[in-house]
Amino acid sequence: MDYLFGALGLFVLGVLTMFLPKRLELGAHYSGMLLAAGASMLVLLFSLGILVTGMTVGPLVFGRYSLMVDTWSAAFLLITGLSGAAVSIYGIGYGKGYLGQRIRLLSGLWNLFILSMVLVIVAGDAFTFILSWEVMALVSFLLVNHESEKKEVVYAAYQYMVMTHLGTAAILVAFYLLGSASEDFSFAAMAANTLDTPMRHIVFASAFIGFALKSGLMPLHVWLPNAHPAAPSHVSALMSGVMLKVAVYGFGRFMFWFLDCSTFAYGLIVMCVGLVSAFLGVLYASMEKDMKRILAYSSVENMGIIYTAFGCGMLLTATGKGSMAFIAFTAVLVHSLSHSMMKCLLFMGAGSVLHATGTKNIEQLGALASRMPLTAFFTLIGAMSLASLPFTSGLVGEWMTLQSVITLAWQADAQEMRVFVILAFILMGLTGALALGCFVRLYGVTFLGRRRSSLVLKAHEMPASMLIGMGLEAVLILFFGILPAPMVGFMQSALTGGVIIMPMENLFGVFWAGNGSFSIYSPLILAILAVFIGGILWFTLSGKKCFVEQEETWNCGTVPTRREQYSATGFSKPLRRAFDFILNPQRKRVYLKKNHEYFGRQQEYHLHIPDQFSEFLYKPVEHFVVRSADTMRALQQGSVRLYIGYTMIAMIAVLIWGVM
Amino acid sequence: MLQNSVAGLLVPGILQALCLVLFAPLVAGIINKTKAVLQKRQGASILQEYFDLYKWWKKPVILTKYTGWIFVAAPVVYLTTSIIAAMMVPGLLTGSFSFGDAFVFVYVLALGRFFMTLSSMDAATAFGGMGGSREIYISVLVEPAVMLAVLVNATRYGSTTLSQMVIQYDQFFFTVPAVLSCAAFFLIMLAENSRLPVDNPDTHLELTMIHECMTLEYSGRLLAFIHLGSMIKLLVFLVMFGALYLPLPIPMALKVLAGTLIIGLVETLNNKMRLFKVRVYLSAAVILLAVAVIAQ
Repeated sequence: MDYLFGALGLFVLGVLTMFLPKRLELGAHYSGMLLAAGASMLVLLFSLGILVTGMTVGPLVFGRYSLMVDTWSAAFLLITGLSGAAVSIYGIGYGKGYLGQRIRLLSGLWNLFILSMVLVIVAGDAFTFILSWEVMALVSFLLVNHESEKKEVVYAAYQYMVMTHLGTAAILVAFYLLGSASEDFSFAAMAANTLDTPMRHIVFASAFIGFALKSGLMPLHVWLPNAHPAAPSHVSALMSGVMLKVAVYGFGRFMFWFLDCSTFAYGLIVMCVGLVSAFLGVLYASMEKDMKRILAYSSVENMGIIYTAFGCGMLLTATGKGSMAFIAFTAVLVHSLSHSMMKCLLFMGAGSVLHATGTKNIEQLGALASRMPLTAFFTLIGAMSLASLPFTSGLVGEWMTLQSVITLAWQADAQEMRVFVILAFILMGLTGALALGCFVRLYGVTFLGRRRSSLVLKAHEMPASMLIGMGLEAVLILFFGILPAPMVGFMQSALTGGVIIMPMENLFGVFWAGNGSFSIYSPLILAILAVFIGGILWFTLSGKKCFVEQEETWNCGTVPTRREQYSATGFSKPLRRAFDFILNPQRKRVYLKKNHEYFGRQQEYHLHIPDQFSEFLYKPVEHFVVRSADTMRALQQGSVRLYIGYTMIAMIAVLIWGVM
Repeated sequence: MLQNSVAGLLVPGILQALCLVLFAPLVAGIINKTKAVLQKRQGASILQEYFDLYKWWKKPVILTKYTGWIFVAAPVVYLTTSIIAAMMVPGLLTGSFSFGDAFVFVYVLALGRFFMTLSSMDAATAFGGMGGSREIYISVLVEPAVMLAVLVNATRYGSTTLSQMVIQYDQFFFTVPAVLSCAAFFLIMLAENSRLPVDNPDTHLELTMIHECMTLEYSGRLLAFIHLGSMIKLLVFLVMFGALYLPLPIPMALKVLAGTLIIGLVETLNNKMRLFKVRVYLSAAVILLAVAVIAQ
């Protein structure tokens, strides 16, 4: 607990750097970021201590507020501490770009942001939770709005503000209903609540809406692809990598402690929403050309995978296979951790590219691998992990998710469950392959080939602090990808409070015996084999006369121009056509000059892929609200006599009602 | 128990991979010969692929100035993943333990595809990007079918471990799911290995190429790596087809030969289909497999 209080103290100190005088601006930034990094490391150490010992700390009561830490919170403290430390180190270099643009505010709020997330996780009662949740929402709003000179940033920030408050409202309703059926609002009392079944459904619905909105699940995701790209890159990293996981924490707290995990319908709803979010999220991600929007949509996908595993665990519990649900919930935590690492890494990579070239439109990039080789290498590892390839931690979570879904199929006695699993597998297969395509496209267009615009010319390698931040995450992704045992072990003890019921980790990898027989994924052996075979093959290439340098790429006898290489939009064209019934792409071709039927034409081509949910769900609702407000305006004429008339009519109506 | 199996699995695994690597060009040669005979041509010798590999091996690799390390690493990764896949394939020598299950097999192949498609964009021509883009398109459509193929066997045998899925004649012989999944896996095999009617391995016309498009910029030893990798992958799928899906009580070599002849026949009888028709072709595989899962 000392570590935790130390961390909180450091965060508060970090917030105070905001008030240093303007001439110490740079010093304030450095000290703020270093304090955040140090405090995050303390949080990390604290959470490791809790996970190893499996003890529960608290509740420590301070007046109306209280703190409590158990292993479930410790798992998320681990995520916060790890990514918070890495991104804070990165932020030392990246934040310097905001010198003269309220940099003190940026680093001060940065501390407050991490502090509020830690407080949400360690909250011991509903008041503390809601208070820190609200601070988290407001601070992240301010951080998204940091570049408020840009119009689209302000729009995204206010959209985020509105959406996140809808979510907060839903969570408030959930807590209120729950609290009114318990002795008081502390988590311990609420765990012993006496909700009747219809009330429990309402609490589940509001809690799920609230947390799903914060996690960016479809159809409540609309704010996410706008807000995450608008924020400064290190803030986007933390929002995607950690804040979305805080919502998973809250949802888990509700499901495991306050509500009944074993209601069949709940699991079905959560899993369906997760599957749809995973598939549609990655589908939209592979259509975007703004680097950070791609990553934001990919966050929707990964949160979808996490909730798929969560729902699968709930379904296994509901069908009476509670011990089998274990792998699904472990998959939730493992994938939360690995998604946090890889998404932070890629947002940091995107930030470096933005820093170096001034654009995040991948159509204008290319050939960055030769100009910033280390950044390119780290980003490659992150991209591989998001495509859930072997040797990265991404596959560990994905493998466990797939195992849990297949356990569901195998355990299902009912035939209709099997149909559901078929649909789940089709969607998960599409998701996996699309994620691979999406990150091949992102990496290939940004870092490989030739430059697509002169912006690339000024690109350079990043300063050491940014590289350290990225390298830290990249090394961890590879480490946990090749030796998943510590990660899986910690996450298992987080679920069970230190007691390992059914060990899944092994010296050589992960294995799952719940199906009745074994399934193994041992990346260590795989890595040894790959290094061995690849090494031999690489050795055969090392001969002297093996390579000949040539001037130009072969192009049917012509010299290829830079514009001839595939663009990102072109690369995703076949997919756009295959899924046009979902995406509904809008093409517009404008002829600027048309002298001849076939030659000498100059044309402009616009492609717009509308987000179907905002087209068919949000816009009608918005129109309805605006229209009904317009009609209501007729009542408000501003004349005093009219209002007296209204009062009279109301009184007469009340009197008549009273008589009746 | 996992620890004990490590030594026990590595030696047969390596032997099996060596064996598949040695025979892969022969299988490709037999397919080509079959096609030639069916088309009333004389055709090249069935050993031609060995000669080709030797020829490429001796030639230097020509690199353009735009390419980076990924361009050189990709063929190495591709061949490595193919060899690892060859170690994992069940039904030949590997014992009851392996270092990965069916999902790992799928993702190991995905690693090779990831690097090949990346390298296709590295040479900065329209050809490479076209090949990479189409490869991604096909792989997205194949993946649900692959996942369902795993699901069929996992629900039947209660495990995703490949060696547990080896077909057992006494219990699983010409039943509805067995026949349906056999047909569907054949469709998947053609699509995964860039064969007709999804992709034409013979042509060099940019309208029809997919896999060849990606390799267009390669030469010398790197090209040899890629071709050997593709041939191993085809043989691995043929062995999988025989071991997991073909319900015939004959030795594996005969099963592979039968698969080879059928591929030759199918490639002679079919044209390459339009790229956007592949969607329909692969949904056929998905539907067959879905029915197979339900029929169990």
